Amino acid sequence: MPRRRHLTALLFLGKYGTVIGLGLMLVGFSLAAPDAFPTQSNLVNIVNQVSTVAIISVGLTIVLIAGEFDLSIGYQASLAGVLVVGLMVNSGVPAPLAIVATLGFTALIGFVNGFIVTKFGVNALITTLGVGTFVVGINYWYSGGIPIGLGLESNFPDIAQGSILGVPNPILFMAAVSAVLWFVVNRTDLGQQLQAVGGNVEAARLSGIPVDRVKTFAFMISALCAGLTGILLASRIGSAQITGGDGYLLQAFAACFLGSAALREGEFHIVGTLIGVVLVGVAFNGLAIFGAPIYTQYLFTGALLVVSVSLSTVARRLASG
Amino acid sequence: MPNPVVRPSSASNGEPLLAIRQLSKQFGGAQALSNVDFELMHGEIHGLVGANGAGKSTLIRVIAGVVRPDAGEIRVDGRPVSIRGPLGAASFGFHFIHQELNLVPKFSARQNMVLGLRKPKRLAVINWRAVEGTLRPIAERLGIDFPLDTPVERLSIANRWLVSIGRALVDSARLVAMDEPTASLSATEVERLFRIIGDLRDEGVAVLYVSHRLAEIQQLCDRATVFKDGQRVATVERGDLTRAALVEAIVGSRADSPSSSPTLKPTADAGHQPGPAVLEVHRLSRPPLVRDVSFTLHRGELLGLAGLVGAGRTETARAVFGADRLTGGSLKLDGRVFRPRSTPDSVKRGLALVPEERRSQGLILQKNVRFNLSLVSLRQLRILRWFPALSMRRLDRQARDIVAKLSIRPERTDTVVSRLSGGNQQKVVIGKWLARRSSVLILDEPTRGVDVSARAEIHRVMRELADSGMGVLVIASEFAELLDCDRVLVMDRGAIVGELRGGDITEQAILRLCYIEDEATA
Repeated sequence: MPRRRHLTALLFLGKYGTVIGLGLMLVGFSLAAPDAFPTQSNLVNIVNQVSTVAIISVGLTIVLIAGEFDLSIGYQASLAGVLVVGLMVNSGVPAPLAIVATLGFTALIGFVNGFIVTKFGVNALITTLGVGTFVVGINYWYSGGIPIGLGLESNFPDIAQGSILGVPNPILFMAAVSAVLWFVVNRTDLGQQLQAVGGNVEAARLSGIPVDRVKTFAFMISALCAGLTGILLASRIGSAQITGGDGYLLQAFAACFLGSAALREGEFHIVGTLIGVVLVGVAFNGLAIFGAPIYTQYLFTGALLVVSVSLSTVARRLASG
Repeated sequence: MPNPVVRPSSASNGEPLLAIRQLSKQFGGAQALSNVDFELMHGEIHGLVGANGAGKSTLIRVIAGVVRPDAGEIRVDGRPVSIRGPLGAASFGFHFIHQELNLVPKFSARQNMVLGLRKPKRLAVINWRAVEGTLRPIAERLGIDFPLDTPVERLSIANRWLVSIGRALVDSARLVAMDEPTASLSATEVERLFRIIGDLRDEGVAVLYVSHRLAEIQQLCDRATVFKDGQRVATVERGDLTRAALVEAIVGSRADSPSSSPTLKPTADAGHQPGPAVLEVHRLSRPPLVRDVSFTLHRGELLGLAGLVGAGRTETARAVFGADRLTGGSLKLDGRVFRPRSTPDSVKRGLALVPEERRSQGLILQKNVRFNLSLVSLRQLRILRWFPALSMRRLDRQARDIVAKLSIRPERTDTVVSRLSGGNQQKVVIGKWLARRSSVLILDEPTRGVDVSARAEIHRVMRELADSGMGVLVIASEFAELLDCDRVLVMDRGAIVGELRGGDITEQAILRLCYIEDEATA
């Protein structure tokens, strides 16, 4: 049956297309620029660059697995940067305490998101857009709309700029967060409940799963990851930019949806999201090495996202009859 | 109750509006309609009665163009036709008002009455004043006394019915079919509806009236057709419309035959002694469908809950399980007061529910068998009690045990459940509860749309669970499925109206009890 074979091929492409694309890109860039691309320092640099996006993206993945959305993460990341630097510079809070307080505050924002979505039944898009806008307000109120610089003697930049055994710290953070969240999703009862709630909320409820609690937890995880990303970003730059994390929202969504088309059939999962993040990072890096103008990066990423997700969606629809 | 519509049948000259010959339809292996003849005159109120699954709805759906018949001829005004889709039905002037009333809640009554119809326009803008011109007389005809710009979601059920009927009239309906219109109406609202139906008839509109309430059929209809097992068993004229005649036709005139599957009820006949009460339900209510339900379920008992569609069985089950909030009544679980709060709480306390719709309520379709079988027993599958890490080995072993025990096919734990047959999907929904010790298991239509072997398997499991000391409550609309119960309760209009035990449990006996309420009112 030739139709059957076409379908199998299409399904294969839908499932592995993203990974194959990544492989082709790595090989292609290596052959085209053997001196610049496949060097150890460049590859480490790529991963280091994407690590902040990766952390916020795996957090968003948790919310998406639970069948919800979170549009507030970018604004939360911006606020986290402002808050952590502000606490240290303006209030003289020691760095560890400032970090804990900042993460605590973002977790609270996540809780508010979850509370509104589950207890009032408000659509998550609206809720997180509203809460996100409110977060922007807090950000400007606290900072006065002016970036906050760190003193020269501060060792806060060491968090993002330091390394352990030659591995930059952000990569270690990314690895640790991803590993923990992978474990939570795949190996804990909470993770099974997350997947059940996202798969069929009514069936989950009738199986006695505490749906509201599970969803609220997901929003809190995503908020914590956004907070961590914001802190690392401020540490990397050495100052708190007012809108520093805003752009991460779209990048995180792109990575998650790219990842949903990778290895699984349209399911959000941690490994897929990481593949999505790396794919975009490699593309940006390679295009930059060739001196391609900035706009090609956006053209490429946009096309990549639409094509890969379409491919896997169409394949699945055809396969299910 | 005064009888507002005892008028002789009018306007039945010439060809019937609708004439059906030798209509047949199969679903899967089941014969939903076989060689049905049916005739509907202009301006006639025609009742359709019969037990669950007797063929009434299939006939309606054929006339609505939703179901294509396998064989048979349909004539409208004497001309052979084929009805293609809802639009086809509408082009003949056929309108259908379902129990759920397909209205747009946020839209006003006015918008709903002209929904999907061609509206008068001026420069591409709907001319609402012209619309008002057509609606006004119709609203007056129906005695609509609320402003037409009221959103439908703020109207009572009775007024929503008026909007639905109004919509049919705007489209100059020649036939209006109504499915259980009185299920959630009060007595005065029913009277008003009947008066309107009488007016429709006098204007030459034919009405198909589907109802389980025989007193209403007697009061309202010019003729009634009785269905049983997909066949038309009788069409009764107004003069002969007695309760006894209808019940005889619905139940079947042959003598009550003993259970057709005697092998399935050994414990019931052997003087089976159930254990102590595990669930006591006292005056449970959740209007409009659950009004006053009291019963006791014992440990070791397989208790059937029978009733006609809309009797309130599913709603009772959901309220007991805590899936819907109940408004009144009290419950006891193992002798202690139990207030259903939430589903997680109920599950923790030992209640289990196999819901009515397995695909939308019972399964995570895109996940595999192993995942679905673990959903209610996750805590037991932890490696350490205080740390939420799961033992994947135990999770898989548990799933394999259940797959073997229920003979789920294919015999693997990694099949995505959406690819399983209906019977095997149902076994998964039931199977997940086997991993957990519950004291009460409620199964809502566990064998609906399930093949014969899975059905036998499910019956075996229900009995085994009861024998193991659980209280098992099973709801079924096909009463043959309840023959192996120790006891069967019959529900009607939100209350328990009868009970059968052991050898007295026959399909006919259950069906008779379903119609018992009419005896009092007729």
